[in-house]
Amino acid sequence: MTRFVLILALSLLPVAMPAGMALAASQEQPANPIGTAVLGFKDRVAEYIKLHKEAASKVPKVTKTSDATDMQSREAALAATIKQLRPHAKELDVFGTDFRAVLAREVRRDFLGRSAADRQAVMQEQPLKMRLSVNMTYPTDKPLKTFPAQLLQKLPELPPELEYRIVGHHIVLRDVTANLVVDVARDIVPKIAG
Amino acid sequence: MSTCLHRSSRWPALLLALFLGALPLVAPPAPMLARAAAIQAAAPAGAAGGTLAPRAEKSVRFAVIGDSGTGDKPQYQVGERLAESRSVFPFEFVLMLGDNIYGGERPEDFEKKFERPYKALLDLKIPFYASLGNHDDPNQRFYKPFNMDGKRFYTFEKDDVRFFALDSNYMDQAQVEWVEKELSASKNTWKIAYFHHPLYSSGARHGSEVDLRELLEPLFLKYGVSVVFSGHEHFYERLKPQNGITYITNGGAAKLREGNIRVGSEMTAKGFDTDRSYMLVEIDDKTMHFQALSRTGELVDSGSVEAVKAPPRPPSDGAVR
Repeated sequence: MTRFVLILALSLLPVAMPAGMALAASQEQPANPIGTAVLGFKDRVAEYIKLHKEAASKVPKVTKTSDATDMQSREAALAATIKQLRPHAKELDVFGTDFRAVLAREVRRDFLGRSAADRQAVMQEQPLKMRLSVNMTYPTDKPLKTFPAQLLQKLPELPPELEYRIVGHHIVLRDVTANLVVDVARDIVPKIAG
Repeated sequence: MSTCLHRSSRWPALLLALFLGALPLVAPPAPMLARAAAIQAAAPAGAAGGTLAPRAEKSVRFAVIGDSGTGDKPQYQVGERLAESRSVFPFEFVLMLGDNIYGGERPEDFEKKFERPYKALLDLKIPFYASLGNHDDPNQRFYKPFNMDGKRFYTFEKDDVRFFALDSNYMDQAQVEWVEKELSASKNTWKIAYFHHPLYSSGARHGSEVDLRELLEPLFLKYGVSVVFSGHEHFYERLKPQNGITYITNGGAAKLREGNIRVGSEMTAKGFDTDRSYMLVEIDDKTMHFQALSRTGELVDSGSVEAVKAPPRPPSDGAVR
């Protein structure tokens, strides 16, 4: 019972504490740089999604179709509209330099925990020589290499419109419905010898 | 252990011929009788002649193809065999294990790599239920003939069988949560999952997807998944049950990675890696009968599997126990 009262008291502390005191306490503690980087990335993702939705509202809607032409023309129209809405987009606009560092560390840590065979498996069938640039259409004749499932669980979750992809040694943020490269974080996947 | 039925030596074929020659001397087992009757009744000679007829009058029957979308001759030949098999084994739908459209995904590719090879079945309104492979644009989910309802992962039910089509290319937290929610909600006797990447495989090229296995298998065990179909490896491999689950890799409906099953793999119950293949499956009450056939219509593997019982669930009355 005493423990319960203590927990309750602690949980109410921020509410009971005068605003000035809370501010002083927050000023004393430096912000967690990783948390800040992740939050910044999430904000930029949210911004992109706003733009994606704006673009989607300007092109014909396709839910289900028996005609592959409809799918292709919708995908192309959506991609073209997104490009128009962010004509000056450049690398790390969404990832951000600080989150790129977080991403690189997380991927490296994940790779170091894998066996040589497993690392090789991740790199298998990678389009190693594929040229990448922001706003390019992901070529449909190149495989979309499976993203390592365990690593995916450690990264900030993305809305369904976006996904992470490994292309060579780089990580790409890909717009799924527009089949568009939204951002590129280069040289993230370590070149670890067998 | 037989990792391959017709692999390096002619002896197995000779022994098989001798065995078949001696058949009239022994009482044929029931499936063989069914097969013989079916062949007499319906199968065109020299076509999918190895096809076994269904056991039950009323059962859930389906075909399974994987890694099919090349648009080349072997895909068309398998398509023809599938249609021929249907005259003996009238399956009602087809599961696709991913890599549905290789290479370009222009409208003409959908025609060349899907609509034409399976025209006979599509004309009969046989539905295909696709899952996504690493060569597939996720926007295939909007292609109506794939019956994905605009979703990368989805579930559907046929009688007492619930199918879970997963996207193993991108197993994010949202999908893992969805899998658990849907599996836990299913009261079906049969829970069958299918997706592109095999959790267990003796393939020399790819092998088991350990990463994915660590995420999915605990859920399959917890909620009583009986059978898992996968592709990605371009051959047929039925694995010895792993933790009570039957895993079958069936990724050779158009592509072939000849001789790629590791010889001596302890996981293999039956393997076939010398030609393309497809499967026919029947679920009758608590038993699943399966058969794998080659591009030439030869029976490569057959057998049956019993549904696993889901472990008892913890009581949901809120009581702490």
